Amino acid sequence: MIKARQNTSSFTAQLQTPLGVQALTLLGIVVVWECIGRTGLLFPDLFPSITEILQSLWIYLTTPVMIPHIKASLYEVGGAIIIAALFGVPLGILWGSKQSWLEIVEPLILYAAVVPKIVIFPVFILFLGIDVHSKLAVGAIAAFFPVSLLTIAGMREVKKVYVDVARTIGATPLQIAKNIYLPAIAGQVFTGIRIGLGAAVTGALLAETKIAKAGLGFMIVEYYGQFRIADMYALLLFIFIIAALANGAMKSLFGFLSPVSRRSGEAGMYF
Amino acid sequence: MSESTRLAAWRLGWIFGALLIVETSVRAGWISSFFLAAPTRAVIVLWQQLAHGNALVLTGITLFEIAACLAIATVFGILAGFFLWRYKLIGTSYETLLAALFSSPVILAYPMFLVTFGRTSAAVIALSSIFGLIPIIINTKGAFQNVNPILLQVGASMNLTRKQMFRHILIPAVAPTIFSGFRLALTYILKSVLGLEYVAQVGGVGMWLSDASYKFEVEEVYAGLFGTIMLSILFLYLINRCESWFRR
Repeated sequence: MIKARQNTSSFTAQLQTPLGVQALTLLGIVVVWECIGRTGLLFPDLFPSITEILQSLWIYLTTPVMIPHIKASLYEVGGAIIIAALFGVPLGILWGSKQSWLEIVEPLILYAAVVPKIVIFPVFILFLGIDVHSKLAVGAIAAFFPVSLLTIAGMREVKKVYVDVARTIGATPLQIAKNIYLPAIAGQVFTGIRIGLGAAVTGALLAETKIAKAGLGFMIVEYYGQFRIADMYALLLFIFIIAALANGAMKSLFGFLSPVSRRSGEAGMYF
Repeated sequence: MSESTRLAAWRLGWIFGALLIVETSVRAGWISSFFLAAPTRAVIVLWQQLAHGNALVLTGITLFEIAACLAIATVFGILAGFFLWRYKLIGTSYETLLAALFSSPVILAYPMFLVTFGRTSAAVIALSSIFGLIPIIINTKGAFQNVNPILLQVGASMNLTRKQMFRHILIPAVAPTIFSGFRLALTYILKSVLGLEYVAQVGGVGMWLSDASYKFEVEEVYAGLFGTIMLSILFLYLINRCESWFRR
C-alpha cells in the first residue's frame, strides 16, 4: 500500500518536470488527433487517424518505396551543403580577415540573407533545367549565408593579440592559419554548416514541391494532388525525423570535434 | 567624405559594377537572353508592371499578408510569452518544444494549410504567422525573465501598485527585447510569405514570379525577382531604422 503510494507520488513528481510536461503535451495532441480522426468530428478528410499515418510511415521505413526519392533529395542536400561549405568558408575567412572588406561586404550579405532563396529558383530552372541540379543550387545558396556569416563571426572572435604574438615569434602565415585561425573559427564554422544543412533541406525540398521529377518534396505534392492525406502526413513526419536525426548527429559530431560549437548551438534561431 | 558615405559608395560601386557586367554580357550576346535578362530591361518591365499592370495590386496583397501575419504573431506571441513566463514549468517545457518546431522544416507542411484553408491568402497567413509567432514568444518570455530584480525592488519600495509596476517598470524594461523578437519575426514572415506565394502560387508578388516562370517570360521573371529583392531590402532597411530610432 505504502509502496504503491510512493510509486504514485514519484510518478506525479516526474510529470511535474519539463520532460513530463512535454511528454504529456505530445500525448495530448496524439489522443486529440486520434479522437478527431476516428470520430470524424472535424474535417474528416483532413485528419486521418494516427494509426493510419503510422501505417504509412511503417511502409516508408520497411519497404524500398521511398529509396529513389530519398536518393534524389540526399544528392541535392548533400551537394548543396558541400558547395555552400566550399564557397562559404573561404569567402567568410577572406571577408573576415580584413576589417575594411568586412565593413563593405557584411551589410550586403545581411541584406541578401533576408531575400527568400526559393524565389531564385526560376533563374536556376532557366540555367539548369528542372532536374536535381536546380534544387541543389537553391539548397546551396540557402546554406551559403549561414555558413559564410558564421565563418565571419568566427574570424571576428580571433584575438588580434594572438596573431601579433605569433608574428613576433616568427610564425609563418601557414602556421598562423593552422594554429590560431583554424582552432578559433572551427566551432562557428561547424555551427554554420549544421544550420546551413537545415537551410539546404528546406530550400531543396521546397523547390522539389514546385517542379521536380523525384524527391521527398516532390512526393509530398504528389500525395497532396492525389488527396492521400495520411500518406502526406506520414511523409512529413518521416522528413522531420530524418532532419532531426541529421541535426542531432551533426551536433554530436561537431561537439566532439570542437567543444566551441556546443556553446553556439542556438544560433539557428537567427537564420 | 565621411566614412559611412565612402563605404556606401564602395557597396554601390560593387553592385553597379556587377550589374554592368551582366548588362554588357547580355547585350553583347555572350550570355543568351533566353537565360538572362539585361538588368535595364528587367527594371523597365518592372516599371511597366507597376504603372500599367497589376504589380501594384499584387504588392498590396503581399503587404496585407505580411501585416496580417505580424498582427497575429504580435498579439498571440506577446500573450503566450507572458503566460510562459508566469508559469515557469510550462514555460521551460514549451520553450524547448517551440525551439524544436522552429528549427524543423515546417514550411514543407504547406500543403496541409492549402487543404485546410484552400488555395487562398488565408493559407499563406496561417502558416507564415507561425514563423513570426515563435521568435516573439521566446523573446517575450526571455524579456520578462531577465528584468533586473533591483528595478522591481525599487518599485516595491516606492509602494507602486501592481498596475503601476507593470506600466512604469515592466513594460519599459521588456520593450527592447520584445522589439528584437518583433524584428526577427518580421524577417521570417517576409521570407515565408514571399516563398509560399511562389511555391503555392497564391497571393501577390510571389505568385506573379511563379506565373512569369511558368510562361517562360524571362524579362518578367527577372523583373519579379528584382521586385521581390527590393521589397525584402526595403523591409529590412525600415526595420533597422525603426530599431535604431526605438533604441535611442
